[in-house]
Amino acid sequence: MKRALVFAILALGIGAGAARAPGAQIGIGPYAGYNAALIQQDTGNGAVFGVRAPIALAPMITIEPYYASSSLGDVDEEFGGLSYTRSGFDMKTFGATAIIGSILTEGFKFYPFAGIGSYQMERTGSEDIKETGFNFGFGFSVPAGAKIHVQARGGMDMIVTEDTSRKFANGTIGITYTLMSGE
Amino acid sequence: MKNLRWIIPALLLVFGAPGCVLVSGQFLIDFDLDTFDASTDTAVTRADVDLTTEDDYNDHKEDLKGLADVAVLGKITNSGSADIGVEVWMTGGPTTYTTPTEVTTNGTKLWGPFNLGAGVTKQVAWDESAGLFSEVGKALLINEIKGDGQFTIYAIGNAGTYQFNVDNGVLALAIEFGK
Repeated sequence: MKRALVFAILALGIGAGAARAPGAQIGIGPYAGYNAALIQQDTGNGAVFGVRAPIALAPMITIEPYYASSSLGDVDEEFGGLSYTRSGFDMKTFGATAIIGSILTEGFKFYPFAGIGSYQMERTGSEDIKETGFNFGFGFSVPAGAKIHVQARGGMDMIVTEDTSRKFANGTIGITYTLMSGE
Repeated sequence: MKNLRWIIPALLLVFGAPGCVLVSGQFLIDFDLDTFDASTDTAVTRADVDLTTEDDYNDHKEDLKGLADVAVLGKITNSGSADIGVEVWMTGGPTTYTTPTEVTTNGTKLWGPFNLGAGVTKQVAWDESAGLFSEVGKALLINEIKGDGQFTIYAIGNAGTYQFNVDNGVLALAIEFGK
């Protein structure tokens, strides 16, 4: 809970700071995609949905608070000739991602990103996992109108769980609407 | 390209951090408990578990970090005339207790009660089973998994007299490993 509060305050702080900064660019938009559980035999893959708000504080850096929700698939196994199903996790995440460059300016952009977030995973019969995680990957930003960009990203989420981790490869596509162009 | 210089040390930091490298994960191992009867008319039913007979366990034993998920599975029939709660108890070492009192006095409750009405047959659901583990039992199980992988489990009823049968019993473990 403390960690969640810290992340929330951090995200609000960044947003408030950016809103006052001269020339700051702010956008917002939904995205969707697919999470593939890596080396995890006790949970499946699933769709991911979220919203993110890129804030270009300077020409070279964009900070992007985000929220995402993913419903991971069940695991079906047969033991002793009987079929069993283990429910997959429901995963909720919020945090902030750092992007090199601005994804709200004109033109096609290719960019790397890396971020940190608070991850919560829960399912029936298991203790909730509430841990800090990291995400990183690469993305493309393609203009699709005066204030709209299409964002396509591929990356990885890694949630540290004491001595090991849970990892997900993911691909997402979304749109970003520019609320404040900084002009 | 100059702007991407930061990403190499950042990725090295993430991949190199203890316990969060790419080579870690959750592996599913199942240990057959087979089919057995349990009754207060006979000695307590037990299973001597030896995880070192499982290839997946041996392959990752040196890198074991914990237990991500665990379940007792199978189809259980309450063949007695009273409602019962089926329980699984365990001892860290090899033991040969013969009565429920010996088991509950000296052992640690691992799982249950799985409640069954008289004459009812029910397949244990994986989700339900995972929620029936006691914290103390799970801690002991983790300790044994990280240790020699050998322990004894007992199946008993929580009623004064009981009679039940387990078909195709399985102990399913999702074990965490990391380099």
